[in-house]
Amino acid sequence: MKKIISGWTLIKIYTLLVYVWMFAPIIAVVILAFNPHQFGSFPMEGFSFKWFVKLSHNSSILAAFKNSLILGSLTAIFATAIGVPAAMAFIRYDFKGKDLINTLLIAPIMIPEVVLGVALLLFIRWLQQPKSFMLLLIGHVVLTLPYVLLIVQARLVGIRKEYEEAAMSLGASPFQTFREITFPLLAPAIFAGMLFSFTISFDDVTATLFWATAQNQTVPVKIFGMLRNSISPEINALGAVMIVLTVSTPLLAGFISRRFAKGKGK
Amino acid sequence: MKEKSLRPWLLLSPSLTAVFLLLVVPVCFVVVYSFWLRAPSGQDIPAFQLGNYAKFFADFFYPSIMLSTIRVAIETVFLCLVMGYIPAYFFYKTESKLKPFLMILVMLPFWISFIIRTLSWINILGDSGLINHVLMKMGFIHEPLAMLYNEGAVIMGLLQYLLPFMILNIYVSLDGIDKSLTEAAKSLGCTEWQAFKEITLPLSLPGVSAGCLLVFVLTCGTYLPPMILGGPGNEMIANLIFKRIIGTLDWPFGSAISTILMILLVIIVYTYNRYMGIGQIFKALSTD
Amino acid sequence: MANDLGERLDNVYESYKEGKISRRDFVKYLGISGAALGLVGGPFGMIRQAMAAKSIRFDGWGGTVSEAFRKYAFKPFTDATGIKVIDGEFGNADSYLTRVKASYPPGGEYNLAHLSGVFDYKRYVDLGFDVVLDEDKIPNLKTVMPAIMKPYRAITNGKLSAVPYDYGLTTIAYNSKFISDDKAKKMGAALLWDKDLKGKLGSWTDWRTNIWYASLKTGQNPNDIKDIKAVWSALKEQRGLIKKYWGSGAEQMSLLANEEVYASIVWSGRVKTLQNQGHTHLKLLIPENAFSWQECIFVMKGTDLSAAHKLLNYMLAPECAFAIASGQSYPPSLDPRKVTVPGAVAGLPGFDATGTLNGYLFADPGYWNTHQLDWAEKWDRIMAGR
Repeated sequence: MKKIISGWTLIKIYTLLVYVWMFAPIIAVVILAFNPHQFGSFPMEGFSFKWFVKLSHNSSILAAFKNSLILGSLTAIFATAIGVPAAMAFIRYDFKGKDLINTLLIAPIMIPEVVLGVALLLFIRWLQQPKSFMLLLIGHVVLTLPYVLLIVQARLVGIRKEYEEAAMSLGASPFQTFREITFPLLAPAIFAGMLFSFTISFDDVTATLFWATAQNQTVPVKIFGMLRNSISPEINALGAVMIVLTVSTPLLAGFISRRFAKGKGK
Repeated sequence: MKEKSLRPWLLLSPSLTAVFLLLVVPVCFVVVYSFWLRAPSGQDIPAFQLGNYAKFFADFFYPSIMLSTIRVAIETVFLCLVMGYIPAYFFYKTESKLKPFLMILVMLPFWISFIIRTLSWINILGDSGLINHVLMKMGFIHEPLAMLYNEGAVIMGLLQYLLPFMILNIYVSLDGIDKSLTEAAKSLGCTEWQAFKEITLPLSLPGVSAGCLLVFVLTCGTYLPPMILGGPGNEMIANLIFKRIIGTLDWPFGSAISTILMILLVIIVYTYNRYMGIGQIFKALSTD
Repeated sequence: MANDLGERLDNVYESYKEGKISRRDFVKYLGISGAALGLVGGPFGMIRQAMAAKSIRFDGWGGTVSEAFRKYAFKPFTDATGIKVIDGEFGNADSYLTRVKASYPPGGEYNLAHLSGVFDYKRYVDLGFDVVLDEDKIPNLKTVMPAIMKPYRAITNGKLSAVPYDYGLTTIAYNSKFISDDKAKKMGAALLWDKDLKGKLGSWTDWRTNIWYASLKTGQNPNDIKDIKAVWSALKEQRGLIKKYWGSGAEQMSLLANEEVYASIVWSGRVKTLQNQGHTHLKLLIPENAFSWQECIFVMKGTDLSAAHKLLNYMLAPECAFAIASGQSYPPSLDPRKVTVPGAVAGLPGFDATGTLNGYLFADPGYWNTHQLDWAEKWDRIMAGR
């Protein structure tokens, strides 16, 4: 018995170490957001909020941030909207060429983004069409589709077909069955898929660099542009704000829902 | 009956249309371009000739970069697996209330731009970075350790970027395992380790397999970590594609390198899928 | 109804085959089908086109430079003409050319761009993206140094497709805490080959710059290299000493500021910025025949020229040019004999008070562009150590 506990403790310590390692650069980014000098090195000399103040006045970065959020959200919605049916088709049906099509749909991650970025532009040029926001959006949907497919398929495999068949035999239409039975069971994977496609779209540099028009540049593209001169610590400040938001939102939501559940219970 | 055979295609049609228009057709353009010629001015001349491919194989330079890219990718996959499996197993086993929160933390690094994340390693590993600073203060070393600008640093950057993919893929498949199976095994006298080895580990292989494939393929196509963290000589094949297509505007040759890389990846993915791949595992799982 | 639509599409396809309509129109008709509608943006595409007439796009380096342009040129221009300036960003100059080349129609949505190097000007001209500017419509062009316009005129038959905007140096910086001024001065370009600095040297990934300085090291004229083999072997030797070939200004600044390297190839304006931020121990070393370059505002084919002329005139106005100069620490193209240059601008590295640019060595665009393909590739091999 004692041995088992020590094994579990080792696992915990290992996980903790992986977390520390994974977050080391993130912590450096956040700390340097408070550095009064442009070129941060440790130890830091002083402490200041000036980059946060500057950021709040920088309309160009804030506009890009808004673009990133809109693009990421729409990508997440569309990628799951088309990815979930595709995953259903793969797991629930048998048809010719299934393996081939499955490989084809996860192909977007196999092609280097530089190539895909230019290739799509060549195609658009051949069609003699200008770039547009739609192009950027569909491009991101295609880029993130494989992640949604992989996650949703993995979950769908575990949901028993019998539930759906039972509902159908009771007279439910396929859509009703999906809504009442499959969807609730699948929800965690759908959520994970959306989270994935949002973050990947939010963080994408290379393809976006080629596809974005001047009006819908995203934060990573701005940062890529800043590389030429110097990356302003305003970007660190933006990162710090993002981190605080993402860490606090689920905590806050958890807290509120717990309060809510407690109130209800009484 | 006929309606039923149509249904999967109906479900697939939006994805297929999008991937066909934005991926398959553009990739055909790349393949066509790989047979073209580049004029000295940068114009592309339509042609059909194999010169670009001949150039790739003319000496050992490009193939050797290709090989070293694959070597780095395999090393990255291996390290990702070693670093990622245990945390994923921790998520599966833990009953902590913080579990969902810890899971979201895994995705947290993505909220800070990849470029910034990669650049910030310089503040940690550099000559005047955190580690050297602390070690020198404590008197362990007198000269800063050279940790940046070598292959180790590149792999470090890659791991930092790819580990979340590995952890989440393994976790998704661990999460699907019925915990009563291991309980049953233990009640039959298996130790915790035996139960893990005989039941949990084999059942988690689909996730391991998907994670490895994802990490491998993504490593082969990335150019930013070698560009920022690598020293002279640590460039990977995607850096060369970037340079040919963007730097010298040599689209035909850049397309040829890309085509070769794509063919190579398709062969690897296909063989992999055939013997230990996702398709195989899904099939095995969904037929019961 | 469906039949009717099908018939119309057939007609369209027929006329496409007969060459009556362009592929663009053909696709537009096909846009009736959902997929193409998504690609071209459907009705949004039309709105966008209607808006395009009232706007002009500028692509630049972003950051402080863009801020200065917005304040001193774009706002007064928009106030005066009602034409909006869409402020784009390069990301990176090479990827910008890739996007321009890959866009439709030729030059695409792009109008004005802040390009570096006459060799880039030539690349755009060679690809057919040039226009002919009417210099009378840009009165402020008269205050620009004639010498800085000459290389552009040489490429486009005496005309201009761009206005020169600023100039600077790609040269050497050293950290005077570790390298004495005497030593730096004595060694010149050879400082980048100093074995004592092994592992503490930096350089740029750019093929042109490295070949340039290797030609100086081997005592050759960079614009007419006779012994290229000597250049390659010098570069091979240097590679073993280099810690990092940086790829961007941000990297070069952090390498120097964090003392990762003690000497490096740098862009003069970047080091000036570091000095302004208190890194006064970083000093510029400008050897004879240091790599000088100039930047211009290029006007892309397909641009509404009357709007472009007006906008360029605002950009060349002294207060705008000087603000940009302070923003990026590169001196402006304006002739100091014709305009009064403020002290801060005159103190920028490489500033030429004579307005003649005598003694500045620029890269010969024809020479370098013809060698680009071979040399860039050879350089990649040397950098990779194979």
